[in-house]
Amino acid sequence: MSSLRAAYINEIYKLSKRKKLAVSCILSVVAVLIAALIVGVANNFMGIRITGESEFSVLVLSVLNYTLIPLFTIFVCIDMVGGEFSNQTMKMVLTRPVSRVKVYLSKALAAATFIIVNLLFIMVTSLIISLFIKGTLAGIGRIFVAYVASFFPLFVFALFTMIISTIFRGTGSAFFLSILCFLLCNVLGLFFSQLQSFLFTTAFNWYTLFLGSYINFHKIFRMFMILVGLGLMFFGIGSYLFDRKNL
Amino acid sequence: MDKAIVIEHLSKHYKNNRGIDNICLEVDKGDVFGFLGPNGAGKTTAMKIMTGLMQPDHGDVRIGGFSILENYEKAMQQVGCIIESVAPVPYLTAEENMKMCARFYQNIEDKQIDWCLESTGLLPYKKEKTRNYSLGMKQRMGLAMAMVSNPEILVLDEPLNGLDVEGMVEMRNLILRLAKERGTTFFISSHLIHDVELTCNKIGILYEGKLLDVRSTADILKEYASLENYYLSEVDLSVKS
Repeated sequence: MSSLRAAYINEIYKLSKRKKLAVSCILSVVAVLIAALIVGVANNFMGIRITGESEFSVLVLSVLNYTLIPLFTIFVCIDMVGGEFSNQTMKMVLTRPVSRVKVYLSKALAAATFIIVNLLFIMVTSLIISLFIKGTLAGIGRIFVAYVASFFPLFVFALFTMIISTIFRGTGSAFFLSILCFLLCNVLGLFFSQLQSFLFTTAFNWYTLFLGSYINFHKIFRMFMILVGLGLMFFGIGSYLFDRKNL
Repeated sequence: MDKAIVIEHLSKHYKNNRGIDNICLEVDKGDVFGFLGPNGAGKTTAMKIMTGLMQPDHGDVRIGGFSILENYEKAMQQVGCIIESVAPVPYLTAEENMKMCARFYQNIEDKQIDWCLESTGLLPYKKEKTRNYSLGMKQRMGLAMAMVSNPEILVLDEPLNGLDVEGMVEMRNLILRLAKERGTTFFISSHLIHDVELTCNKIGILYEGKLLDVRSTADILKEYASLENYYLSEVDLSVKS
């Protein structure tokens, strides 16, 4: 376990030293501020009620969940896997007394940490803005649950991106293919409802299951198990490919 | 004598029919073993397999008695290496890179990190980001990172690449010092015959993926005027046969 811990700490350390983390935080704040501005203008000047103030954080999540957060996740995952293969820094880790499965697991855990930090950052920012608008933090429990729930499909997506990044040495090709797959899964989910159970992108809005007045535990459990299954499958494929990869 | 490295029937073939073929080799503890061969002979392939960067088609490598295929972590616990080019994380300083390597071992103090950097002449530049390092400095950095755990075995693939004459002499002296004072076993690949002759006490010649011969440097120099003569005669014999 000490080698896994060392590998994880190193991944987090590298992540913290990259500009991508700071850029993603800044862009997230900017995106939340723009969303607040649009909601404010629509509510006050155009007479269109997009959302109540207490739901502002959920509105932000519903937009960023399909845009900035997956984009940053792709950046980080590709940087951690394909980027390190292409600039040869991967050798520095792989020639240490740590198995490849542990190295891959440490990268997956670092990706999970990044997603959690990103979501936390967006949630806190949007809650502060909600507080300024309304003066209270009504519905904070539900908002927290929604953000926690949205972590799972994003993490599954991160594991999927890591597979692509392991297969392709070039970071550019891995990046475009990841985006293409994300868009394709969303489009397929729209047109072929029978495929929805197999597409991880369908679960990107599963947090809404926690927000209604009636909570369907059966559906939540089913979706959760699908995400667990996909996550384990993607991790298994990714770590196998990573383990077999020759440098 | 105890074996530091045992290579057993190691084979790896690429699609272009190059690679290595059925290599068997033993390196005793404390040896400074020189792996000689022309470009494309398979030296780097063998070393990549030895350090787990590549999977062999057949065979195994035992380091300190542990199989690299079955017990990788234990085998690598006692190994430091430079394989091909050295690529430290460019946006981190030398010190940060060293600390990242040190995390995989227990009880490595800052003193040890500083000693490694001092031995390789990088201590004055430890706060500099490695993206600003020259090729020679990166090569020194590679050796410093390999030495951080004070390993029993150092596997060095062309360690003198990119070094100036002064750097080559320093590196050679460091290798000899570590072998003498700490009993470190070295497995060094090089095509610089003169440096191998001055540094290694045992030589193996690899040619077109096959290990032609393994002998002690002293024995070779009794029979031949120089290591270069021995190398050329072995290669000549191989071509004729």
